[in-house]
Amino acid sequence: MGDAIVGVVANPLSGRDIRRLVTQASVFPTAEKANMIQRMLTAFGAVGVHRVLLSTDLGGISAAVFRALERHRAQTGPGGQRRPGHDARWPEVDFLDGQPIRQTAQDTVDAVRRMVTAGTRVIVCLGGDGTARVAASAAGDVPMLALSTGTNNVFPAVREATVAGLAAGLVAIGAVPAGQATTRAKLLEVRVGNRTETALVDVAVSTERHVGARAVWNPATVTQLFCAFAEPDAIGLSSVLGQLAPVARHEPHGVTARLSVGAARQVLAPIAPGLVVPVGVSEIELMHPGSAHPVDARAGVIAVDGERELTIGPDDKPVVRLRADGPLCVDVPAVLTASARLGLLTSIHQTLGGAHDRHG
Amino acid sequence: MTDTAERKTLTKEHLLDAYRTMRTIREFEERVHTEFATGEIPGFVHLYAGEEASAVGVCSNLDDRDKIASTHRGHGHCIARGVDVGEMMAEIYGRRTGSCHGKGGSMHIADLSKGMLGANGIVGGGPPLICGTALAAKLKGNGGVSVAFFGDGGSNQGTTLESMNLASVWNLPAIFVAENNGYAESTSSTWSVASDNIADRAAGFGMPGVIVDGFDFFAVHEAASEAIARAREGGGPTLIEMKFTRYFGHFEGDQQTYRAAEVEHARAELDCLKRFADRVTETGELARADLDAVDAEVGALIDRAVDEAKAAPLPTEADLLTDVYVRY
Repeated sequence: MGDAIVGVVANPLSGRDIRRLVTQASVFPTAEKANMIQRMLTAFGAVGVHRVLLSTDLGGISAAVFRALERHRAQTGPGGQRRPGHDARWPEVDFLDGQPIRQTAQDTVDAVRRMVTAGTRVIVCLGGDGTARVAASAAGDVPMLALSTGTNNVFPAVREATVAGLAAGLVAIGAVPAGQATTRAKLLEVRVGNRTETALVDVAVSTERHVGARAVWNPATVTQLFCAFAEPDAIGLSSVLGQLAPVARHEPHGVTARLSVGAARQVLAPIAPGLVVPVGVSEIELMHPGSAHPVDARAGVIAVDGERELTIGPDDKPVVRLRADGPLCVDVPAVLTASARLGLLTSIHQTLGGAHDRHG
Repeated sequence: MTDTAERKTLTKEHLLDAYRTMRTIREFEERVHTEFATGEIPGFVHLYAGEEASAVGVCSNLDDRDKIASTHRGHGHCIARGVDVGEMMAEIYGRRTGSCHGKGGSMHIADLSKGMLGANGIVGGGPPLICGTALAAKLKGNGGVSVAFFGDGGSNQGTTLESMNLASVWNLPAIFVAENNGYAESTSSTWSVASDNIADRAAGFGMPGVIVDGFDFFAVHEAASEAIARAREGGGPTLIEMKFTRYFGHFEGDQQTYRAAEVEHARAELDCLKRFADRVTETGELARADLDAVDAEVGALIDRAVDEAKAAPLPTEADLLTDVYVRY
């Protein structure tokens, strides 16, 4: 059935928007993104992934991994000075270079498309909600595992990369059946004229006139909110409905409401790191798959997963729909629970054991 | 966080001013590019074309209390701060009627009456200056903010790093604007900036650091507006990194063998003036005719500036010893 290939796409710009200025959001360092990839390489190698396809960037992530690979080869190759903890077997790594790097979201789309074409079995995505949204739009039915290296992350998990790497690796080598390993996410689709955008978490209609600094950080500007799911322990706009009308990821419906500063019903919501503000909410309604929900605003912008993306004018009449056919997502706890039940990490260790017991 | 609705509404007048200033910078630089080739302009010139949204997006948030320090690529900052375009052109031509009476040239245009502390031939020379003016504003309690523009090369200078440290320690109303156009002369910033993103360095100095699309006036204006408001309210310094490309070489005459087709791509797809025009006409805030009228007006302004500069007298021998000493 061919090589067990994992794709890793990392966004060099995630975790650096205006929310570091208007809230207490932290910078997610490039070096840590590169470290996460190295920790995943160890996990992939441990379970027998053959190849890893890695996106390239001008932000320093792929360059740092390249340098780490050189060091790793020197340490683990013939005559290398092996040190415990630094001699794990890493898979072959191919950098997806050779295409222009635009330093826009298109780079993520291009990388994911190349991964899909190359027969990648799992795509790990390092970024925020925006990066996961863009990657999902190009991933087709290849399972995705989104890890948070962004700011207000709801869709990507905040999870140790080594553990996520083990789960992605077990799916890629086919050790855990896809049916037990993945869940299908929901999706919100926004149509404005002939433009269509998708969101994995929320769509917000804002009175801001311009896309500007992109991040939606002032809920006072938001007039309508659509959520594919709304968890009570989330951060960001979906947390507003997470407190008033929670919807789980696995439930078939979504939820929508109107937001206004003067609404009778107010809820305190963690909109961004260090920003807990009252938000006025009214007209909460469930969204059912396929049904069209009109956007009332005649001017403003529409944000998808927290990023202002579309400008709307008086004749646009945007429509938002909930769709059931979102990306396939690797369910890390389910994979590792299956692994425990099936004794996978024991049997893989016995099969690949020699390679893992250099110090034994 | 500030109230977006109140603080950031850009009126038609604001938008026209922003467009006029960006267009003036572009037209000024395109014209200097053409005129420099004739050999009439002495010395070096470093052109700002392509980067207009940075200077204008930042400076459109400033007022009479505020100061800026610029770089060797300073024409855009001067124009955005309101320095007279005719005097600037005369200065570049080395004429007595110039901003510095023809003795400074392109890299030393200054106008303290406009809060413009000067273009600066020293890479990383601006940040220490604004620590001084920001300290003065803080001690006077006048709410003034100081802004230092510097490039990706300047971001690696000790002066810049020391200034960011000092500004943070003294909690100064200082904004550090790193204009990362990808190359320090011919050295790629992806090679020379160890943290890859200049904004990431802010964390080490305990100040916020953000990355902004430097081709997008609205993105720059929004980030700068928040940073400046924060500084005025005693919130301290901010580092803003603009990512963009300069349209011309490091200096006029640079063969640019170190870069490929990115300039054509930027001009065609990312240009700040085109994007601004598309957005404001799409939202109906301005009409194409409004923008066309500005283009014509600016074209005439620059024509006049060049004609007057060429006709103006050169400094004489008697001017040599004037303006050498300053009495405080």
